[in-house]
Amino acid sequence: MTQQSETLHYAVSVVGKDRTGIVAGIAEVLFRLGCNIADSSCTMLAGEFAMILIVSHPRPFTKSKLHDELKPVCDDLGMSLAVRTLHADEIIRQETSNEICMISVYGADQPGIVYHVTRELAALGVNIMDLNTKLIGTPEEPVYVMMLEAAIPAGQTPEGMEALLGDLKKELNVEIGVRIVTPVSL
Amino acid sequence: MPNQPILHYPHPVLKKVCHRVEAIDATIESLVADLLDTMHAGPGSVGVAAPQIGVTLRVCVVDVSASRHGKDNHHGQLCMINPEIVARQGLAVMREGCMSVPDYTGDVERATAITVRFTAPDGALREIAASSFEAVAIQHEMDHLDGILFLDRIVSIKTGLFRRKSYA
Repeated sequence: MTQQSETLHYAVSVVGKDRTGIVAGIAEVLFRLGCNIADSSCTMLAGEFAMILIVSHPRPFTKSKLHDELKPVCDDLGMSLAVRTLHADEIIRQETSNEICMISVYGADQPGIVYHVTRELAALGVNIMDLNTKLIGTPEEPVYVMMLEAAIPAGQTPEGMEALLGDLKKELNVEIGVRIVTPVSL
Repeated sequence: MPNQPILHYPHPVLKKVCHRVEAIDATIESLVADLLDTMHAGPGSVGVAAPQIGVTLRVCVVDVSASRHGKDNHHGQLCMINPEIVARQGLAVMREGCMSVPDYTGDVERATAITVRFTAPDGALREIAASSFEAVAIQHEMDHLDGILFLDRIVSIKTGLFRRKSYA
């Protein structure tokens, strides 16, 4: 039997107004239940703290058990909670041999920056792995910043990507830069 | 000499401060040969330090000449005994991975140019000025001699999300 079939995986997301003790509160429940936190990403978004965790537990275990134990803690902390069971084919580690790029997009705030840029990237076969956006600047001159990490298609270069995004850059009047961040193996 | 298996963290040797080599004898010659064989056996490997094959001596090898980042700026195959960085300049961030910490990468800040002094396997004292990727590789391998992994130097929380397949 493979490890996948003996272990159950869940996607847990917790979001709410930031305060101290959120991570500790959630982690305490998971520890008490014997859950493993595999991959996780937790960050402040405006004044909200957002947690996304992939949690595993050996069989037998149930989603409702996990949810019911987390719920009162989330209620106390004022956080929303979502728990989803992951299927075995969802938890296989994603692999790529393609070049990884940091794509930076910034400019005067306007509706549709994320949509237009990501639609173009999807059409070019670019796979987004991480995306952060932030509204900066002043209320009079708001600036939108989007940073994303993506696997670009095989054979494609940062310069090639920038050229392909050139029309969009003009259209939206934003800056678009593409830089390689593929790790070096040492 | 056979190539040696690369030790993975949490093997305790990887966190040890290595001893200086006092004399270049057959043991050291054999160690250098093992390090070279191990480097050449690794897919796209550009360097190996003695503790990565279980030896707590201040010896490492670096060769970035075949890598795309280093092919235009390198000193070829470097076998460094008791290496010391005597000057450093500039800072740049590069996302590093390490054969001793598989499946993880992180952004590390290192000097962009260094002067490194070391004893070559023939006993000669050498000093070279390395820059760019070669400088990064030397600093990474020399860190191993002090029990420092790239994990100890990560400056950004952003990490690789997937297994690395390509080392070219």
